[in-house]
Amino acid sequence: MEIDQVEISLLIKTLKNCGGYDFSNYSEKSFCRRVEKVLMDNKVDIYTLVNRLKFDRVFLEKVVRDITVNTTELFRDPQTWQAIRYRILPRLANKNEILIWHAGCSIGMEVYSMEILLNELGLLEKAKIYATDLNTEVLETARKGEYSYRYKDEYIDNFTKALVENPFNFEEKNEVNVDKYFDSNPAKDVFKVKPFLLNKTIFLKHDLVTQGNPFCVGYDLILCRNVLIYFNHDLQNKIFCDFWNYLNHNGSLVLGIHESILGTMALRYEKKGFFYIKKPFDTINPK
Amino acid sequence: MHIVIGGSAGSFQSITQILAALPKTFPYPIFLCLHRLKHVRNGFVEALSIKSKLPVLEPKDKQEFLPGNVYLAPANYHMYLEFGNTFALTTEEVVNHSRPSIDLTFMSAAYTLKNNVLGILLSGANKDGALGLKAIKDAGGKVIVQSPEECQVKTMTTAAIKVTSVDHILYTQQIIDYLLRLKE
Repeated sequence: MEIDQVEISLLIKTLKNCGGYDFSNYSEKSFCRRVEKVLMDNKVDIYTLVNRLKFDRVFLEKVVRDITVNTTELFRDPQTWQAIRYRILPRLANKNEILIWHAGCSIGMEVYSMEILLNELGLLEKAKIYATDLNTEVLETARKGEYSYRYKDEYIDNFTKALVENPFNFEEKNEVNVDKYFDSNPAKDVFKVKPFLLNKTIFLKHDLVTQGNPFCVGYDLILCRNVLIYFNHDLQNKIFCDFWNYLNHNGSLVLGIHESILGTMALRYEKKGFFYIKKPFDTINPK
Repeated sequence: MHIVIGGSAGSFQSITQILAALPKTFPYPIFLCLHRLKHVRNGFVEALSIKSKLPVLEPKDKQEFLPGNVYLAPANYHMYLEFGNTFALTTEEVVNHSRPSIDLTFMSAAYTLKNNVLGILLSGANKDGALGLKAIKDAGGKVIVQSPEECQVKTMTTAAIKVTSVDHILYTQQIIDYLLRLKE
């Protein structure tokens, strides 16, 4: 079902007025495709959809959930996790507390990846971890830490690459067993995070576009991976500006491996391989 | 003109032949959407670069595309061509069991670039690309399919020939000749 720009505008206006969600600066083509898929799945045209959104809040939340993308993996892109382990966390190890925000955490796999990594380094105790997403349903899954056993092999592949090898020192091999962190039940298709990792992270529903800093703290590390790719360039830059304000001195920002900071905000961050570091204000505007 | 090429099982050889034959001065951007094994995330760019005279790059999200570059859809992302000559990458669910999906790249090219697109579909083992090629044709672009006789696996090309009236069915060498003539 093809939709045109007038119809998309109508939908965006309705989602804003009736739900407070602002999709006006989403990346156009992929947003349209998501909407077309929602129309097909619900077997409705755009006008029927819009009318129903006006009085059915539960339906609106469901539509928002279906429009947004929630793909995630345990230790997705192991090189990134190696960089976090060997390049970012050592600089934070001496702090009294380490503040981490997962912006757009989906079902929490990345949050638990971080907890596992911190635990391996003996830093879990002093870490304060915050995680947010637009979608309440994925947050529910995230809080439970319960996933499908079916994909275990994929997870373990990443888990091993991220935790066992040290790319900066090939002779070093760490011993980590996945059973230390997960309970498996193949019969019930359950692969569940061990209880000691649950309740460590604060999960909160939050809209990056409209709601600012959700926890009123400064962060040493923000992870926002494959979230901003759904936003257009201007909105991306606004969020990079927000993150710059929320990051502590020398704080790090981790994006997806095919994301980068383009345009004016690029001046405010220093790229270090798989992550960015906040530049201090006086180096951006030298006197 | 924008050249979008889709391929899957059995297409690697044709791709490398095409890239090897194009001169450094080739004036159009080329977009490659090739299926690959999920865990093989690295090394593909390097493999394609060996023979290519044009730079082969994996685009970043929102990066601008330029003539004379070859852009390879990154593993595990869908690659859209957006207005303003930029890329958009997404991690949406797989389409036709594939991410990147050829259909999505082709359809976005047709939508954004209208008749300014040449779509080429090569050997492959599923039906991804067929509807995308139709979208290019419907938007006024040109579409070429590798001759099924030459394809190691012809599922993809025959599926495309079935759903759209393709402009040409060509062998790899003829595709190369076609691209070289585009210059004039």
